[in-house]
Amino acid sequence: MDLLTGLLTTAFLAGGVLALAAMGEVLAERVGVVNLGAEGLIAMGAITAVATVSAYPSPLVGFLAALCVGALFGALFALATVTIRANQVLCGLALTLIGTGLAQTIGKSYSGMPVAATFQGVEMPLLSKLPVIGPAFFSQNILVYLIYIILPFGLSYLMFRTRHGMNMRAVGENPAAADAAGIPVTLFRFGYVCAGAALAAGAGAYLVLAFVPAWSDGVVAGRGWIAVALVIFAGYRPIPAALSGLLFGFITALGFVGQARGWPIAPAFLSMLPYAGTIAFIIVPVIAWQRMRRLMAAPAALGQPYFRSVR
Amino acid sequence: MADFRLQRLPSTTPAAALGARILAIALALVIAGVILAFVGKNPLALGLQVVTSSLGSSFGLEDLGLLVIPLILTGLSVTVAQQIGAWNIGAEGQFYAGAFAASAVGLFAPLSGGWSLVGMGVAGAFGGLVWILIPALARAYANVNELITTLLLNFVAILLVYYVSTDAWRERGGVANSATPRIKAEIPEFWGLVHWGLPIAVLLALAMAGLLAFTRWGYEVRLIGSNPAAGKYLGIAARRHLITVMLISGAIAGLAGMLEIAGTVHRLQGGISNNYGYLGIMVAVLARGSSIGVIFAAALMAFILNSGIILQTQGLTTSTVLAITGLILFLTAIGDELSHYRVVRDKS
Repeated sequence: MDLLTGLLTTAFLAGGVLALAAMGEVLAERVGVVNLGAEGLIAMGAITAVATVSAYPSPLVGFLAALCVGALFGALFALATVTIRANQVLCGLALTLIGTGLAQTIGKSYSGMPVAATFQGVEMPLLSKLPVIGPAFFSQNILVYLIYIILPFGLSYLMFRTRHGMNMRAVGENPAAADAAGIPVTLFRFGYVCAGAALAAGAGAYLVLAFVPAWSDGVVAGRGWIAVALVIFAGYRPIPAALSGLLFGFITALGFVGQARGWPIAPAFLSMLPYAGTIAFIIVPVIAWQRMRRLMAAPAALGQPYFRSVR
Repeated sequence: MADFRLQRLPSTTPAAALGARILAIALALVIAGVILAFVGKNPLALGLQVVTSSLGSSFGLEDLGLLVIPLILTGLSVTVAQQIGAWNIGAEGQFYAGAFAASAVGLFAPLSGGWSLVGMGVAGAFGGLVWILIPALARAYANVNELITTLLLNFVAILLVYYVSTDAWRERGGVANSATPRIKAEIPEFWGLVHWGLPIAVLLALAMAGLLAFTRWGYEVRLIGSNPAAGKYLGIAARRHLITVMLISGAIAGLAGMLEIAGTVHRLQGGISNNYGYLGIMVAVLARGSSIGVIFAAALMAFILNSGIILQTQGLTTSTVLAITGLILFLTAIGDELSHYRVVRDKS
């Protein structure tokens, strides 16, 4: 395998976690709810998947179980932030602490063991024979098609080409106007927060079932926070969110290749790349592309609880 | 017939907020206890063991005293930033950066005794300050969310400390090969294991409280924090205040890292912070913006953290403490919102 193919293979594999979690975050933020619990949700998804496949060795079942646990935690988060309207930042941080702590506690008995069943690569007929992209994309596990094709384009169509999607965005931009137009604001927020949380947990399942096939305490390694940052970088859109996940997968892959080829840089510094890169990628665009600001703007009601009447 | 309905008040009373916190902690401990009972442990016996071993002996109290030092400072760091409406989620990274810079001075600077400690203190604060510099400037000049930038730098700082303690500054021929040589300059103890960092931390919290409450600068900072638009109309240099306050916040967390190195651990190693930065967020939320409240909230969090360390022999981990802390934070956030409501009676 040549260098480019190897880099892209790892990029698609590593970027899947970020792309999936970032798309989940897009769903929640588009209806006006910041979910800073992504890190904890990924951890819970990962440990759920590990525990499930060790009892029933089917990666698909593990993935679905993680989606369910994610939706459950999402419902708890939505109950606090949407129904009770508690502070979203605090609840999000709390969810990160709960998810990370709980996953590490449960994970103690699975630590260091290989995951019982993982997603295997499937070679697509004809397409896998293409140069570079064939081995790098069309020979991967089946989830990459969900992450890089079905979800981004499906969600994009849903959000920008359907009435439902317009209602959804209205809830995030101006909930009072949406409410007056008869859109059920609370239902939309509750539903998409749960769906987003399910995707974040799915990202965790993908992490241990397809990318790093073992559980360890630091396995999530801040990917949830990078995903939250990527949403800003992607301008709250699903297709750019998936692409920026891929971009960061590529940066991670560069670090791996650097270690494998013995570049004269300590591995610790190569591991810093994704974090430092994320910071650069959310600061630089703000300064460089002043004209893009309107296009990339956050939903106007992001982070604000909606009270129909404050009396 | 009179109807009852809920009325939401724009602000909540301190008593209601305190009540919400006490209820949240109690409820979180009950939930944790029920889960422990469910997995076949006796929560009451564990609780009794925790209380007797952390409060019942001078050893236990000294351990609490050591834990409370970094928690006061990281809690203070988050609280100070909150005054101007900034979230410093990066106290963990600034703690590591402060520990790193202080160790550099302690290991390599040709200073002796007291001067070495002073140099380490300055370096520690400066390390924390440098670590928050980019997030502060990005927030001030480009309105980039400081929550995410400060948090991501945590991972960079942890990797940096991991690198120097296992590679560049590693103690050659040491037993574990994962720490620097022992740093000679030490903060003296005044009570058992507890060193002079404790009074320093408490004094710093009191000084910040005084600065914020009684000076013009403190007034302007609090004003911008509670109403940015009003600050603008009054001609307050909001941007300069924001940068200053965030840098102070980082410096305080960096000093916490220095005190941990010079007073408690005496060598730089990976995992030098017991999640102090993240627990500092919890301390700040419990203290509800009061720098003096930070001292009491830190004592409470030190007790909870110490409980987790004691219960490690019972098969629990510090991760469990993290989860319980998260639960307390979650319930506090809910309680804060619910304490805005009161029941009123409609007369008809």
